Amino acid sequence: MDLKATSVFTNDALDATKRLLEQNTELHTVWNYRRTIFTSLDEWQCQDTRQEMLDGELKFLLGIITKNIKSYWMWNHRMWALSSLPRPEWQRELGLVAKLLALDARNYHGWDYRRFVVAQLKDAATDKHEVDTQEFAFTTEQINHDCANHSAWHNRSKLLPEILAQRDEDGQLEVLQTENDLILNAIYTDPDDQNAWLYYDWLLDIQKSDEDRCRLLRNKIAAIRELLELEEDSKRPL
Amino acid sequence: MTMFGTNQLLVDKHVEFIQNLDKKQDGLEYWMTEHLRVSGIYWGLVALFLLDRPQALDHEQIIAYVRGCQNADGGFGGHTNHDSHLLYTMSSVQILSMLNALDQIDGKKVTKYVLSLQQTNKQTNGQTTVCGDVWGEHDTRFAFIAMAVLSFFNTQDQLDTNGIVEYIRGAMNYDGGFGSKPGGESHAAQVYTCVAALAVAGRLDVVDRDRLSGWLAERQLLCGGMNGRPQKLEDVCYAWWVGSALDILRRRHWISAEKLVEFVVSAQDENGGIADRPGDVADVYHTCFGIAGLSLVRYPGLNEVDPVYCMPRSVVKRLGLHKWQDKVPKSWSQ
Repeated sequence: MDLKATSVFTNDALDATKRLLEQNTELHTVWNYRRTIFTSLDEWQCQDTRQEMLDGELKFLLGIITKNIKSYWMWNHRMWALSSLPRPEWQRELGLVAKLLALDARNYHGWDYRRFVVAQLKDAATDKHEVDTQEFAFTTEQINHDCANHSAWHNRSKLLPEILAQRDEDGQLEVLQTENDLILNAIYTDPDDQNAWLYYDWLLDIQKSDEDRCRLLRNKIAAIRELLELEEDSKRPL
Repeated sequence: MTMFGTNQLLVDKHVEFIQNLDKKQDGLEYWMTEHLRVSGIYWGLVALFLLDRPQALDHEQIIAYVRGCQNADGGFGGHTNHDSHLLYTMSSVQILSMLNALDQIDGKKVTKYVLSLQQTNKQTNGQTTVCGDVWGEHDTRFAFIAMAVLSFFNTQDQLDTNGIVEYIRGAMNYDGGFGSKPGGESHAAQVYTCVAALAVAGRLDVVDRDRLSGWLAERQLLCGGMNGRPQKLEDVCYAWWVGSALDILRRRHWISAEKLVEFVVSAQDENGGIADRPGDVADVYHTCFGIAGLSLVRYPGLNEVDPVYCMPRSVVKRLGLHKWQDKVPKSWSQ
């Protein structure tokens, strides 16, 4: 803190901050100071040396990620590093966050970070629809693995309107049928899971035509009738 | 029946626990939590005020310390010489108002700091919101804090409230809940900050009251404890995040107060303090929010807590901040 107060921006100061942060990822003032040191060094001014510095920084962050995977400050610093890179590798980041979510499928920071990375990919992409389609497929994969993964359902709910908008009428019907089947699978797996029913209600809400809404509603009613025959006390169908 | 018997809050033990927090200054834990010391003091103080033991800590010492955490930019850090952040600015203002010392700081400086964090740029996807500090992280927590902090100084009209309300609306999801930012998954703590922000702004009309109340009620598990998202573990602090949001929505009766009390009481440490769940180590954060959660369900002997500001109702009234209640939609009733 004394170094910071006297505005010392040297490689030694950088080392000092590294040692502190390895012990405690929550020292946000030290993360701030570290960023200030980086941007004050001569090497920052040249694209190649900046790339090198920040690639090193990403390695350092990866090394400490397990110390406190829920640290806002650490994730913010990672986002800063990537946003400051002359040549960021967003696909590699997507791979990294996929690995993290494989270990902890509901990690809040992980999913937020994934949305940040996907937004960057979309920004840089010539075919933005393709990015949405791939991300949508990722949520399908997650849900097929565990239909109670609400984080995946949530992400899906943000992508579905974009996916529908890309298709013609027939294409939209196809998408909705898949959606219907996916939700029904979740409902039959656990009729008392509130989430699938909420998603079903929302799907009804976003239908553009009464015809589509009625079709979905008929499916929903049929599902409820069948579930009540199988499990009389199940609260959701009731 | 828990080991404490039903409905037994160990008041004296909790007071002692809070008083002892500052005595272990040589410990690693004390250093590891330095960055949020101010918030730790706020949590301890709220608990003491609700337990009706406000004098258990030295007020003058706390006021002097908190004032020392204010930086040149007008914001407050988590400890002396720590960078300013809205989180610690909020805790500082809350502490000073509880100790009747708000007039010892310059409200204009704090207002200027908070306003400087309001942003509309590429990072915020063109929406108007408030960042936590100069480094640009935006989150619905900071939108709430900005509105709440400025309300202490009656300067909230200087914010682009309409813009911020739209940002919060954008954080609403298909389940009626709210996330950390537009696109973020619904989480009970973020639900509290959004609902509380909308209460301060007088814009509770934005909320899908029934859908959200249902989602919040589902946070209570069979053990009586609550979780923050579906399929996650119960945690004492959600007694506050979920309870306060339901209280603002006038749907407190949608959860079982009895089962909740049983859970929180069973998470007490017999030596003082409350943990996240029974059997774990107690800490001041869970002590604060466990007691605040109990106050919301009118546990006997506790002072009433304001569900928006998480401070005693008496303090909120003294500051004239209770008027958010007049802006709750008339059609809602408890």
